[in-house]
Amino acid sequence: MRVQLLYYPDCPSHERALELVYEALQAEGVRADVEVVRIETDEEAERYRFVGSPTIRFNSIEVDPQPQLPYRLTCRTFLREDGRLSPVPSLTMLRETIRKAMEEEEEHGIGTG
Amino acid sequence: MALELGKSVVDFSLPGVDGKTYSPADFADKPVLVVAFWCNHCPYVKAYEDRTIALAREFAGQVAFVAINANDAVKYPEDSYENMQARAKEKGYPFPYLHDESQEVARAYGATRTPEFFVFDQSRVLRYHGRLDDNWENPSEVRQQYLRDALNALLNGQEPPVAQTEPVGCTVKWK
Repeated sequence: MRVQLLYYPDCPSHERALELVYEALQAEGVRADVEVVRIETDEEAERYRFVGSPTIRFNSIEVDPQPQLPYRLTCRTFLREDGRLSPVPSLTMLRETIRKAMEEEEEHGIGTG
Repeated sequence: MALELGKSVVDFSLPGVDGKTYSPADFADKPVLVVAFWCNHCPYVKAYEDRTIALAREFAGQVAFVAINANDAVKYPEDSYENMQARAKEKGYPFPYLHDESQEVARAYGATRTPEFFVFDQSRVLRYHGRLDDNWENPSEVRQQYLRDALNALLNGQEPPVAQTEPVGCTVKWK
């Protein structure tokens, strides 16, 4: 599985987000490296379709996609399942996205290793 | 560089979302003044919003809270004056929410993040600067209530147990 974490260094949430990503991967039994991408310019934000830090993708599936937002250098808000607004996604949100990515891989006959 | 502990409050005159203009002198009847650099779009502000509102309500008789948004509303339209008005109304802010369009006040305070709190005592001398508590992620796991402890100490004529912490949040969006 391809795992990407894109972050804007002025936003302090990426370290905690990375911990949560590894925790979620372990909980779902998925072994994968996380590609960490630093976004520092508006051009990079456009190129990577980056709407805020952290942006996390499992294969091509984004955690809490927010297509209405512009590409820009900012912190990102996640609406957790308990109704709280947070600078990082919850473990549940991450695990659900990993499961979707795994289902997609199974449909296309791709391994998860 | 942020305003140093022991320095006097930096004066300002800024429009609030209620159409009035506010300065520190408007809060002279309260023994403690909290100046919070704030905005609409930042997830850290959103994470701390309910906690800040609750604290402002709890200390309403003795502590004046004022929130200031200095972010560039061109690049961050959620932080426009109109959206500030909407957010204050939606959440029922119990404190004035002021617009620092020129960003001069934020620069004078040396604010770098939202949220970032500056606490002034009765003589309007800076006695605490930094974050609200030690856990932005989960209110139920807070161990250190820095801002609350500072307010209680000052109201009891004591030194805040912790006078300075590193603010955590989004950077102020300069023009």
